[in-house]
Amino acid sequence: MKAAPSSDSGFVGAPGIDGLASASRPRLGLWVLLVVLVLVAEGVLLVMTVQYRSTRTQARLDLATAAANTELRQILGRDLELVLDLPAPAAQAPSWEAKVARVLGAHPEMLRIEQRDPAFELRAAVDSRLYTPTFSYVARSQMHVDTDIACASSRRRSGPAYSDAYFVPLGDGAASEVMDLCIVEREGETVAGYLVVSYSLPALLDQVGNSGAAEGNDLILLGSDGTRAAHGSLRAGAGVYRANRMVDLPGTALQLQLESPSLRPRLVPDAMGVFVVSLSLALIGVVAALMMDMRRRAGVESALADALSFRKAMEDSLVTGLRARDLQGRITYANPAFCAMVGFRADELIGSATPPYWPPEQRLAYQERRASRLASKGRDTFETVFMRKDGERFPSMVFEAPLIGVAGQHTGWVSAIVDLSAQRQVEEIARQQQERLQGTARLATAGEMASLLSHELTQPLSAIAAYATGTLNMLADDGDGPAWDAQLPRLIKEGLVQIADQAHRAGRTIKSVHNFVRRREGSRERTAVAEMMDAILPLIRLQARKNQAGIEIEIDDGTPHVLCDRAMVEQVLLNLARNGLQAMQSTATDVAPTLTLHVRAETHAWIRIGVRDRGSGIDDRTAAQLFKPFFTTRADGMGLGLSVCRTIVEQHGGTLAFANLRDPEGRICGAEFSFTLPAAHSSTPDDTDRYVQGETQGGTHDIASTRSLASDLELQRSTLHPDGLPRG
Amino acid sequence: MVYLVDDESVVRSALAWLLRSRRLLSQAFDSAESFEAALDAPAPATPDLWPVGPSCMLLDLRMGGMSGLSLFDKLCQRGLTEGMPVIFLTGHGDVATAVAAIKRGAFDFVEKPFSDNALVDRVESALAASRTHLESRAERARHSRILQQLSERELDVMELISRGLPNKIIAERMFLSIRTVEIHRANVFEKLGVNSAVELVNAMHKLRPPHRQGH
Repeated sequence: MKAAPSSDSGFVGAPGIDGLASASRPRLGLWVLLVVLVLVAEGVLLVMTVQYRSTRTQARLDLATAAANTELRQILGRDLELVLDLPAPAAQAPSWEAKVARVLGAHPEMLRIEQRDPAFELRAAVDSRLYTPTFSYVARSQMHVDTDIACASSRRRSGPAYSDAYFVPLGDGAASEVMDLCIVEREGETVAGYLVVSYSLPALLDQVGNSGAAEGNDLILLGSDGTRAAHGSLRAGAGVYRANRMVDLPGTALQLQLESPSLRPRLVPDAMGVFVVSLSLALIGVVAALMMDMRRRAGVESALADALSFRKAMEDSLVTGLRARDLQGRITYANPAFCAMVGFRADELIGSATPPYWPPEQRLAYQERRASRLASKGRDTFETVFMRKDGERFPSMVFEAPLIGVAGQHTGWVSAIVDLSAQRQVEEIARQQQERLQGTARLATAGEMASLLSHELTQPLSAIAAYATGTLNMLADDGDGPAWDAQLPRLIKEGLVQIADQAHRAGRTIKSVHNFVRRREGSRERTAVAEMMDAILPLIRLQARKNQAGIEIEIDDGTPHVLCDRAMVEQVLLNLARNGLQAMQSTATDVAPTLTLHVRAETHAWIRIGVRDRGSGIDDRTAAQLFKPFFTTRADGMGLGLSVCRTIVEQHGGTLAFANLRDPEGRICGAEFSFTLPAAHSSTPDDTDRYVQGETQGGTHDIASTRSLASDLELQRSTLHPDGLPRG
Repeated sequence: MVYLVDDESVVRSALAWLLRSRRLLSQAFDSAESFEAALDAPAPATPDLWPVGPSCMLLDLRMGGMSGLSLFDKLCQRGLTEGMPVIFLTGHGDVATAVAAIKRGAFDFVEKPFSDNALVDRVESALAASRTHLESRAERARHSRILQQLSERELDVMELISRGLPNKIIAERMFLSIRTVEIHRANVFEKLGVNSAVELVNAMHKLRPPHRQGH
């Protein structure tokens, strides 16, 4: 079957779709929180990274300072040993000078070694040949204050002592920071002299730097007063990281300072990294979110698919037909049950403005009804007749409700259709059963009577026949045995007497039956025709509904009551109505089948009741036998209906007539049966005497002897009279 | 004799008149019970001895008291219906019952009102059937009397003769002398009133009670 357009199927809720929209708001808050947390974490990481890096630089710097300090002490210690190894100044002369010169050449940190006497007077001096002689620009004698202090310190403590660093100008703007080492030389208790070694502090720093202890940092020596004494030749420090260490020397104290060339760690490269990391994190987050979303979507989709298949299974399993129409009345959807009901495929139905299941004769009426339906807005329930593909009409109940779209606008109608034909069939069967039951009861009574009558008549008739035959036998006798001659007249007389007796007996029987019939004629009552109609209408309606026929009742205002045996006349009406409905059932016409019951006062004394159908009329051959007992055109008919009807009507003194109806073009378009009943006035006018006579004086009429009225019926209209004579 | 059983006196007298006009004697009973009582009046009737002469019955199917069908069933049980064929008289609507009765052995049924001489014709053929039955009954009685006259030995000899065996073989079979066999043979022929073996075989077919012949 064709899938329903989605707009029509909005009435099936899809769980999960609404939830999607409402869940996004708290989810947004979560997202913001996540981003903030990530940013905070990143910031903390950034700060810690920077801090870690500066701490590490500082620590490394501290280590390097310690190493440089050690190295400086080692150099100074080694130099001290070298100087102490030098020969005594007494054994001076060229050998000492040469030795000193060699030492100076091997150790560039030392500028000059000199010997002084106990009075600090210069005894000998050797300058390092690597440098310009230190005191060539400024005389030694002018620059000995610090040296003197050192020597004094040395003598006081009987060990080597270092002087403070001091500044020696070298001319041409150059200068050198110099530190002296003074070693006192004793001979016994007396001071024999002093050995003074001048150190170039920059060279000393170079030595330390060359040893690699400074690890590429800027080396600075500060004097004991904190001023800068020397500066290593290595690269300049950035001034950001700095480490100090005191170099405690005998006689003085120097401060070794290392400055790292590293600058303060910059934020940007780290921020870049953090940025990249954040982006990656964000990417991962987005991918994860997408995946989650996908999964949820897949879940929702499968739930939706489940819901759809559930809906489809539900629609397919329904026995109730479902149909959707748009606002123009076109069919947009039909479920399998409806298709099966009407016998058309869904694609034959969908889109058609005039549904093929509308019976052609009802099309105009249905279009009007649809127009009024489409104009209204509420739900509605109505009963109607649809046509199957094979042309069979069936009654159905339609429950219709407006279809409201997603946006709340009215988009069409959805109807549930229930096939009522099975129910009607059940009703019809029940009705027929009841009818049959009544009929059977009536027939049983009638049959009982007929059986009794036939038995009562059979006996005398048989006897008559037997006596007659016997008498003839005797008269014609020529067989063997004794002749009858002597007794013959007596025997024949005996037979004839018996025949006469039996004939009388049969006559008595018939007379008694007739008396029985006459007794019923007494039960006349004053009855309103409308009341009788009301009594039989339910039965007629049931049958009419089965035939999808309408019923019209026309009763003239002021129609007087009738005087009749009510039960009998109701039976007549019922029979005529049923015949009419059956006549319309067997003929297919374009006009809607309608049965009309009409009542009017024909004269002052007579009421005419007519039953008009729109069947195919009655042909001449049927008409000729219409009122004959046991004549029927139906397979299951008894052929007693019209015959009994006529008898009943005639018992009331009325007449039963029929005429074919013709349309303006002269074609037969139905038949009308009508009968007259006496009006129940307080006094009976004279002009009805004839009929009254017919009833009262013709009381001995015999049912079976009514003569055939074929000649009258050929005129398409006949009136029947109890005496079997045409009226008027 | 035609027995009329009908509860309608008109019918009884009319039928009696009719039968009489065809020179048939009839006896009328107004009910099944009265017939049954009359049947056993001197002594219980048995198929061997009753009826004495050709007879039949016209039996009304519907009667007050015992119905015709019940009476018929009783007659059937006593085996009287062969000697006295029963013709049912039926009213309207009883044809099915009557047909069932025919299947159980009734001779015929006639629907009321009947075609009178046709009814008498049926009565006559029923009487003819009765007569045939009575004659065969008498024949059977005579034959059984003859067979009772034969001695055991003679019956055996007769049996062997009927198979077409010559005296000599019969003598050997029965351990008798040929002379003795010839005497028996002569006796058998005499008692059965036949002159040759062929006549003997024919006579034996008549003598043998029907129920033995098949074996």
